[in-house]
Amino acid sequence: MSCKLAFRNVRRSIRDYAVYFLTLTFGVCLFYVFSALDGQSVMQFLARNNNPNVEAIFVLVGVFSAFVAVVLAGLILYANQFLMKRRKRELGTYALLGMPTGRVARLLVMETLFIGLAALLSGIALGILGSWALDKLTVAMFLATPGDIFTFSISWAAAGKTALYFGVIFLLVMAFTGVSVSRARLIDLIRSGRTNEEVAQRPLALSVALFLLGCASLGTAYAILLSRGLLRIDLLWFIMLGLGTLGTFLIFRSLSGFLLRMTKGHAGYYKGLNMFVLRQWSGKVHTNCASNTVISILLLLAIGVTACSVGLNDTITATVGGQTPYDLTVLNFGREGNYEEADVGSLFRNIGVEPETCFASMESVTVYYNEEAITGFPEAGFYAAIGLSRYNELMEARKLPLLTEDALPQRTPDAIVNGPAADGIVVVPDAMLSQLRPRRQMVNINYAGNVSQVDDLVRMSLDEAEDFPAGLDIMMNYKLDNYYDLMGAKILVLYMGLYLGLVFLLTAAAVLALQQLSQAADNAQRYELLSKLGAPEAMRRGALIRQVALAFLLPLLLGVVHAFVGMKAANQVINVMGHVDSVHSSLLTALFLLVIYGGYFLATCFGAWRAVRGIGDRR
Amino acid sequence: MDPILHVQGLEKIYGGRGNRTHALRGLDLKVFPGEFVGVMGPSGSGKTTLLNCISTIDAPSAGSIMVDGAELTRLKGKALAKFRRERLGFIFQDCNLLDTLTGLENIALALTISGTDPRSVEKRAREAAALLGVEDVLDKFPYQMSGGQQQRVAAARAMVTNPALIFADEPTGALDSKSTGMLLGQLDKLNRQEGATILLVTHDAFTASYCRRILFLRDGQLYKELHRGGTDRRMFFREILSVVSELGGDSGDVL
Repeated sequence: MSCKLAFRNVRRSIRDYAVYFLTLTFGVCLFYVFSALDGQSVMQFLARNNNPNVEAIFVLVGVFSAFVAVVLAGLILYANQFLMKRRKRELGTYALLGMPTGRVARLLVMETLFIGLAALLSGIALGILGSWALDKLTVAMFLATPGDIFTFSISWAAAGKTALYFGVIFLLVMAFTGVSVSRARLIDLIRSGRTNEEVAQRPLALSVALFLLGCASLGTAYAILLSRGLLRIDLLWFIMLGLGTLGTFLIFRSLSGFLLRMTKGHAGYYKGLNMFVLRQWSGKVHTNCASNTVISILLLLAIGVTACSVGLNDTITATVGGQTPYDLTVLNFGREGNYEEADVGSLFRNIGVEPETCFASMESVTVYYNEEAITGFPEAGFYAAIGLSRYNELMEARKLPLLTEDALPQRTPDAIVNGPAADGIVVVPDAMLSQLRPRRQMVNINYAGNVSQVDDLVRMSLDEAEDFPAGLDIMMNYKLDNYYDLMGAKILVLYMGLYLGLVFLLTAAAVLALQQLSQAADNAQRYELLSKLGAPEAMRRGALIRQVALAFLLPLLLGVVHAFVGMKAANQVINVMGHVDSVHSSLLTALFLLVIYGGYFLATCFGAWRAVRGIGDRR
Repeated sequence: MDPILHVQGLEKIYGGRGNRTHALRGLDLKVFPGEFVGVMGPSGSGKTTLLNCISTIDAPSAGSIMVDGAELTRLKGKALAKFRRERLGFIFQDCNLLDTLTGLENIALALTISGTDPRSVEKRAREAAALLGVEDVLDKFPYQMSGGQQQRVAAARAMVTNPALIFADEPTGALDSKSTGMLLGQLDKLNRQEGATILLVTHDAFTASYCRRILFLRDGQLYKELHRGGTDRRMFFREILSVVSELGGDSGDVL
């Protein structure tokens, strides 16, 4: 009987539960996707190639998952509390009709169980889809894939882990619900009508003073951050954090009073439902300013982490491209330390790799010993020199900027070969070369056709060949080697950033949505009155949307400003490697924000509107 | 003189086949400008249904309702909301005022909804407040006012738009006798001095005794009509009581 009632309750109040359910599902989905990383095609490929980052990724995912589980547990408990509050009256009615508290508690526990199970199932289903999409995305990011490595897989281990973690969370929620219901007194349940916070009238001066104080402390925090950088963690760093938090809090606390006093008596205040919307917002400000502060910090983390990880990822990609311009560089160190030019093409032909069919291009470059007396560059940092015309030929083939004689001598702006050998080379005028001794031959090769097939062929032939170097001291620098190393680092940074960023974003949006929806019961009466006073539906809907938008946009606004300043500071730390606030990262971050935050915003608007639309208009 | 409210053959049937309930059975009534009319009747007599129909909250099954020359049953959607906010004023028993707005803002709300020029809003709201004697609570929130003050602010809001007709649905239901007297005194003043037309629905004989004319409903039809004429309020109250006991219902309310 309890079971049937619980099931019917869930079905009937599916709309109340929508945001709760959505959050649970997203949480489960994210958790599954990241627990299932080890099943990803690219990860398996990297693991087969003994990539050192793979282990790090799995360890970090484990640690982060524990952290994320704690965050989600908090969020779910919070959400559950809102639902309970909303249904106190109904529970009171059960108790009033003589249902023992134990039964009521059991009823609720059962409802939690149903929702939990449904969310777990749909979350894992969505997670499998998400995992597939992430897999596709990663494979696509993996520019030079050695053959088709994509395989679709469902990770039962990850599903099990997700079920276990969320099972514990749901048990916790059920226990919490059970205890709080059996402890509640009937009178509290029945009398849980509207409880409005008292809107204290603050003098204008105080609001303005608080607002300015908030701005000042936020400004100080920004100044400290920007002048000292992100990573000097000492006392002043914590003061900076404290000031930033205090500033955010004070601004949220005083903004409504400030705006209210500023606009009051202004014509716009008495236009349509402006007055009503502003009052609705300011009426809840005291309850919400603490949570708004937390939300804006969560958004800062979400934006910062997502943007930084995507930005770093771009930087790493650029590094790969810049450091390994060719598919293969053959370094010929000569015979017993003496320069000796070799016909690399025929060497390859000897071991069964036909240069004409396998290689698209093959360029031999000779570099010379750098002598400070002639070039003017210290020998310590610059081991070799290259002639201007040869350098320009290489650059022209790659469509990169050329150098002119009057800028010489100078360090090579772009790499002329793969790997570390490209560092420390000076470009000198061709005339100077006659005074220098040749040092090393380097042969840059680009493969023809399928890169990874040719790569495999070259490696296999070299393994089998017995006298390939023919007494020469030769080293190979493959693009794919560099590539896999960097790819591991890339995936590590990107995945961890996305994981944390998405969880923070989800949490922030869900808390806001729940806050708005929990006010729906109070709002329903207010909007019904507006309807009776003749406010048309469009006007009421507009007011509600503005009300929800205010609640969603203000924390976002502060969060974005925080993130902007934070990323400026982060750039100072990593600008050796590049920028984290690239257009690409900003765009992707904006997209995530738009989808998740925007999704919750829309869901909240619909949910809240359904709750307050009321009976107002017949016909 | 043309009636400001003219109801003819009003019928309202709830339910479908098998369990039809006739809430109103061909009701006719007229209210003229400047009248202060009361509607009384026991529970189930159709008071609330009548009010819901006239105030455009519900649609009648048959019959016509003319307010100020406009046929209500033909209005739809936006025109209906426009009519409601411009031609009608409401005072309800409870949840009258928005708890988030001050007294002044609650009165102003009726004006801002109807798109009044924002610059004149505050002035008009203050004038309406002065008429109902609530100038001193304009900066207070509803929870800081007494029940009587709240209802008078609601009355100020109902008349601030100069409606053709003010509906009061059990306005004294939640008030003590002193506040009831004060509110009704102010409504009476509003009716006499400003010529406001008021339709008051109540089941309380004392409240009804402030009206000029009382319509008694029973089983969805007009049962009796009582004019105050020249008699004073005490006499009128007695007359009302006798009709109420004749009706048989709700006499407990007055004892």
